[in-house]
Amino acid sequence: MKEFEMREAGQDRKMRAKVGVYVCECGPNIGGKIDLDRILSDLSGLDDYQDVELVVKKYGFLCSVPGKEFLEEEIKSNGFTHLVIGACSPRDHDSTFMSVCSKTDLNPYLYRIINIREHCSWVIDDKEKATEKAESYLRGGIARVLRQSELFEKPLDINPDVLVIGGGIAGMEAALSLSGEDRRVFLVEKTDRLGGVSLDLSGLLPGQGFVISKKIESIMEDRNIRLFLNTRIKAVIGFLGNFEIELVSEENAETTDIMAGAIVVATGCSLSEPGVSDHFSYEASDEVYTSLSVEKMFSGDEGVKLRSGEQPSSAALIHCVGREEKNYCSGICCSYMMKLAGLFKNQSSDIQITEFYRDICLPQKDDQERYKAAEAAGVTFIRIKDISIKGTDVSFEMMNGEKSKQSFDMVVLAPALKPSADTEELADLLTVPLDEFGFFQEVHKMTNPVGTSTDGVFIVGTAHGPKGVSDSMQFARASAGQILTRLIPGEQLIPEVKVTEILEAYCTGCGNCLEVCVYGAIYSDDSRGISVVNEAVCRGCGNCFGSCPSGALRTKHFTNTQLYQEVDEALR
Amino acid sequence: MPQTGNILVIGAGIAGMKASLMLAGASSKVYLVEKLPIIGGKVIKNEESFPNLECSTCMVAPIQQDVLQNPNIETLTYSTVEKIEGSAGDFSVVIRKKARYVSLTDCIGCGMCYEPCPVSLKNEWEENLINRKAIYVPCSGSLPNVPVIDSEHCLRLSCGEDCSLCAESCAFEAINLEDVDEVLEIDVDAVILATGSSTFDLSSIPDLGYGTLPGVYAPLEFERLFASNGPTFGSITLRDSDKVPGSIAVIHCVGRREQKYCSAVCCMYSFKFARFLKHKIPSVNVFNIYSDICVPGKNYQSFYKSVEGVDTEMLYTSSIADVSVSESGSGLKVAYPDAAGAMKELSVDMVILAAAIVPDDDVIELAKITGVNLDSRGFIATVHDGSGSMETSRKGVFVAGTAEGPKDIQNSVVQAESAAGQVMGIVTSEVSVS
Repeated sequence: MKEFEMREAGQDRKMRAKVGVYVCECGPNIGGKIDLDRILSDLSGLDDYQDVELVVKKYGFLCSVPGKEFLEEEIKSNGFTHLVIGACSPRDHDSTFMSVCSKTDLNPYLYRIINIREHCSWVIDDKEKATEKAESYLRGGIARVLRQSELFEKPLDINPDVLVIGGGIAGMEAALSLSGEDRRVFLVEKTDRLGGVSLDLSGLLPGQGFVISKKIESIMEDRNIRLFLNTRIKAVIGFLGNFEIELVSEENAETTDIMAGAIVVATGCSLSEPGVSDHFSYEASDEVYTSLSVEKMFSGDEGVKLRSGEQPSSAALIHCVGREEKNYCSGICCSYMMKLAGLFKNQSSDIQITEFYRDICLPQKDDQERYKAAEAAGVTFIRIKDISIKGTDVSFEMMNGEKSKQSFDMVVLAPALKPSADTEELADLLTVPLDEFGFFQEVHKMTNPVGTSTDGVFIVGTAHGPKGVSDSMQFARASAGQILTRLIPGEQLIPEVKVTEILEAYCTGCGNCLEVCVYGAIYSDDSRGISVVNEAVCRGCGNCFGSCPSGALRTKHFTNTQLYQEVDEALR
Repeated sequence: MPQTGNILVIGAGIAGMKASLMLAGASSKVYLVEKLPIIGGKVIKNEESFPNLECSTCMVAPIQQDVLQNPNIETLTYSTVEKIEGSAGDFSVVIRKKARYVSLTDCIGCGMCYEPCPVSLKNEWEENLINRKAIYVPCSGSLPNVPVIDSEHCLRLSCGEDCSLCAESCAFEAINLEDVDEVLEIDVDAVILATGSSTFDLSSIPDLGYGTLPGVYAPLEFERLFASNGPTFGSITLRDSDKVPGSIAVIHCVGRREQKYCSAVCCMYSFKFARFLKHKIPSVNVFNIYSDICVPGKNYQSFYKSVEGVDTEMLYTSSIADVSVSESGSGLKVAYPDAAGAMKELSVDMVILAAAIVPDDDVIELAKITGVNLDSRGFIATVHDGSGSMETSRKGVFVAGTAEGPKDIQNSVVQAESAAGQVMGIVTSEVSVS
């Protein structure tokens, strides 16, 4: 290798590379199982690097406090341009040695840890072979580190304000949890009122009507919440900390531009149309109602009445409508159907209520008592395999194969929840994928259920998937938790530094990379006919790297040259 | 960033770790107190987690590492909280750090000290399915990967014998047999209780044979049996034998009637077990005996449907309460009423009881120390203000995860994030006041 090129602070200059190679004995863990002295002398004697100065040493425990001080001093006194550590798994101590570099003038991205413990000494009994493998790994590491480049963290100023889309119970809860003296919330609702579906529900929370009107009042009084009713989202660009959003009024088509650091999507859901499936058939008629329309009647003054104006003397409550077809259980229907049964019984204790169910699903700890209460109030529960509803005649097959038919004054269906009508359009605007059911897709089902692949966009309430009121509010508060702990007024964010860059000269603008980028970090610069990476959004996953036919993409710290050189050298 | 507030988080399971990382990321100083010598909670007992059957270690180990390496988190393992006084924004807390006898900074986890220890006893973390030494880590892959000496069973510490074989075997002088408990006093602004839960006492239903019939298993026992770092390194064999079971029955809803709630996760883990079993032992016959299937939310039913009739036969019973398990030759006999109420019998080699999630064994003590109210089932109660708040009856003290009630990983994480957000409210108002 000839003289080595380094980039520093934007200007290229040539200087002689001086690489420190420090091998950790890890007590007997590496020292006892690998011939480190042989490695030391072999590496020192390498003549491949005549223009590179190698300093090769071993140390007992590099991760110990004296070990770190020793290393810091060595980097400073030798003026290393690069550093290779032969030690344990990067999972254990990569960050340890990066912090040591940060205390010196050595850029932490010009250092590399080579795992000679888990990969060598702990898995190879033969000392000779373990030594050989460790040495080839270290040679590969030296070859690679010489091709690494300095990377610098670029802190970004952030906007702590938040856009909340949807003024239902989840959106209101998010807005109230987030607003504060140093954080404004823009609450955007497409209809002319706050409250969403919760206004139509009856007796879901203790003192619910009061709770919801109180919340609406709090939002109205909060001077840090700016409310946009009858408003939709027209355009969104940006990333965590800095989004620019264009709102459009449904009334006069006027647009408003706002800036926010995060977006909470609380656009709710709707009820699916009852369809026909293998074990369910249905014909609409006057006295067949959806659960929501019965909720509305109960929350009104007159209670539930038939079209004739009379109170029903019998009602069939049909669970699981659409569950088979949708292939998910909404998780709330059993509970609210039992609640409705109770409300019917309150209206008239003589009413005969039969609940036709497939499974009783009561995932909330308080729900089971409602079930017991319904049974105690004389509600009949029939577990069915098949059901067919023609008007108010219900034909069904029970688990023991027995078939039967009953007639009722009214039939109430519990249809599955489905995504709101605008979900797809909004997902496009936000560059957030939808899941197989059409709900917004979370980053990770378990460990990050409110996050999305567009960092800074959070999904809460039933926009995420079917759930009840208390879970919806908890999801809303969870998004608030993420935003409050990450977008701190006056602080900066440090985006990922190992991002992808595009070598403009090679880019043909084919757009393959745009297709595969799940973060929406790449856009097309039509005037120049090339793709451009937004480094603040890129996470360096490397998807685009593999999709580029012209080799125009390069993921920093994982370039082809770096990877090939390491492998070549290790295998030599 | 300047330091903003001190937070105490009790319990280093998924909820406690998540909340700690979020708050530490916001520059709060977090004291994360865990009673066990390792962090990770219940999730790391599972080889794979539903619904994606994702490797749990791969999911949680990076979180554990982040916790241990975060400069704003002081992880106090093998420690308990003894006292919390004061009020929101100004709590004073007493923490007992039990003597570990092994230095967290000097030990590198090489494991040389286990072999020489002459003591052998049941490993509780492994559900008593295997033995451990008096100096031990609960399982391979423990984090921090530093053993602890069980002073109740160590010959030197419990009986005063002159044994120091472990210390002699340590090349790092990491073992200090003179170690003593340490009592820390700290001041914090807010507290998050993320102390998790226990499982239903299966022996309280004698008809199901748990504890008397060796072929009957609790769910966590089976999780460990399946785990590649578990007692059998992942091979499914019957207790104390090499026999591979040919047929297995999973009985759902054990404890639902007694506890008066549905734990909402048992159906899913039962289906996961069926999938595991079919995968490991293709010839096995699996039966799920159930009366209701609870697979709430968008993520679960498709997994159930993919297992139903493929990995397991689903047997409906009209009454779980009338299911019983008894000995039959070298195997087990499960009797259950079918849909018509007629008693049916099933011969199997192994039975797994899908046990309810119940309040943690130490919750009453914890409630006393922290001054929070419990709900009627013994879980930590939140203040019902109709807002999804995680605040308990004591202001400034929050709860998250299964300490609040049975739930899956997703909802535990959601609660942890909610609690962290509420804590930020306290911490930032402190700052603006000062």
